[in-house]
Amino acid sequence: MSTVIEIKNVSKEFKVLNRREGLKGSIKDLFSRDYKIVKAVDDISMTIDQGEIVGYLGPNGAGKSTTIKMMTGVLEPSSGEIIVNGRVPYKNRTLNAAEIGVVFGQRSQLWWALPLIESFKLLKDIYGISDADYKNMMDFYQSQVDIEPILHKPVRQMSLGQRTLSDILAAFLHNPRIVFLDEPTIGLDVSMKSKIRTLIHALNKEKNTTVILTTHDMGDVDALCRRIVIIDKGKMLYDNDMEHLKNFFGSYRTLKVRVKGDLKAEAEVIGKELSEFQVTADDEWISILVDEDKRKVIDVLGQLQQARQIRDMQLEEISTEDVIKKIYEEGVQ
Amino acid sequence: MKKRGLGFYLRIYRKILAQDLKSKMSYRADFIISTIGMICTNISGFVGFWVMFRNFPSINGWSYYEMLFLYGFSLVSITPVQCLFDNNWALRGQVYSGDFIKYCFRPINMFFYYQSEVFDIKGLGQLAFGIGTIAYSWNKIGLEFSFIACFKLVVFLITASLVMIALQNAAAATCFWIQNSYYVLELTFRFKDYSKYPITIFNKAFRFIFTFIFPIAFIAYYPSLVILRPDAIPVLTWISPFIGIIFFYISYRIWMYGASKYTGTGS
Repeated sequence: MSTVIEIKNVSKEFKVLNRREGLKGSIKDLFSRDYKIVKAVDDISMTIDQGEIVGYLGPNGAGKSTTIKMMTGVLEPSSGEIIVNGRVPYKNRTLNAAEIGVVFGQRSQLWWALPLIESFKLLKDIYGISDADYKNMMDFYQSQVDIEPILHKPVRQMSLGQRTLSDILAAFLHNPRIVFLDEPTIGLDVSMKSKIRTLIHALNKEKNTTVILTTHDMGDVDALCRRIVIIDKGKMLYDNDMEHLKNFFGSYRTLKVRVKGDLKAEAEVIGKELSEFQVTADDEWISILVDEDKRKVIDVLGQLQQARQIRDMQLEEISTEDVIKKIYEEGVQ
Repeated sequence: MKKRGLGFYLRIYRKILAQDLKSKMSYRADFIISTIGMICTNISGFVGFWVMFRNFPSINGWSYYEMLFLYGFSLVSITPVQCLFDNNWALRGQVYSGDFIKYCFRPINMFFYYQSEVFDIKGLGQLAFGIGTIAYSWNKIGLEFSFIACFKLVVFLITASLVMIALQNAAAATCFWIQNSYYVLELTFRFKDYSKYPITIFNKAFRFIFTFIFPIAFIAYYPSLVILRPDAIPVLTWISPFIGIIFFYISYRIWMYGASKYTGTGS
């Protein structure tokens, strides 16, 4: 497999004016030279191979967009080296743009007034796509999604779902080696989300396109990504495959039980009995986060049953969402 | 990838234009109302002009028809900026909201991509009006009609229009650095009204400003002298085509420099 993106010790700093409060402060700011340096991206390195789908995750303001802007050539890194398709993106923005596709979830890049098919034809000219390749791609699109109803509709009249779908189709049209998808499923309904995930998956399989996916929806990650990269406050927290991520926090499972009596009070008692685990209660369930490396769930259940009657129980695998949440909140130990 | 030449860009522009016109025509009411609005604007401008000249037979040695010629000349030379570069007005909003980032992702010239998105068809009516005014005053002044004169007129009109385009480009590009750039653009747009008058009616200070600092005198006054005063053409008239080209190039570089510094907003 060949490498398509190589990032070595990349940092990006922004100079931000230290702002003061109030009107008086604003006036002082006019003459202020009091800048602070904010590190949006701090010493990040990674290598991405052709055909990978990488989930690029992090809380809001973590530096995801900044990294993507550097990979697409919009921003110049303050230090470090980025090579995309064998080029430095910032110095070859136009050349780089010919071999990548970009979708920003809420910002359509298509011609607002034109029907989709006309936008496609313009893109065909702009990217110099041959007739055969164009037809090939359109046929593939036809086989994957029902594009006929949106093809002759001006982008402006489309629903958000149709527009996002159109933007994704447009981004893959010139068969780029890398596609950057920034929150492609934001604000979409369940059925559209699944449609878009299936499409991205199929395009990746068929064309071996590398996909860098930024999202806050763990459904996207579960459906598409084999590898994930997590950053927070500009620093890389995690870069490995999905399975590894789940093992990372031990073999956690959530045991949910319902018992006789007041759940909150019972939860406190159980919390004392099982002091090694985290016990919480809501209106319906008492949840016990069990680390199976320490004790088996069945064992815990046995102990609970000795003292009280259990009316109902559920066992939940820890979800990707929980793991990611744990990483955002606690970092990687 | 092949090298992208002028042919490539003209082809793309033609296609965008054709599609854009098609979609605009489909909004008939919008099209008709804006056309009527444009005609009214031009007529009211013309009436104001006419009323003024009923009271003054000539201004500073310029007769009514000569002034009319100048008026027509400025109408024509500001048409390209209105038709082809109208998207400059939206630049500030796009930069501010972060939507501008989409122009960074296509393998074509950003300036071209941005400006090609909007073609303001209303400007064409102004063009017709301007040409009519020039022809009418040309006839009334009794200027000689020859191929050379026409050729000169066209060349000077085109280069004069570049000055206006350059002013607007540079004014619009200020939004890459300052937040309230709308006023800069608005100011530039208002200044263009002074281009309809012979610069000799202003005092020395303004003459200097309008020639060398804010060169609106190159939009109509200097270039039109080549037709109106063929016996005493000042040096500034002869260099006006070069001024247009140089100014346009500088404004293009400023615009592109601003765009390359664009960092977008968070998403």
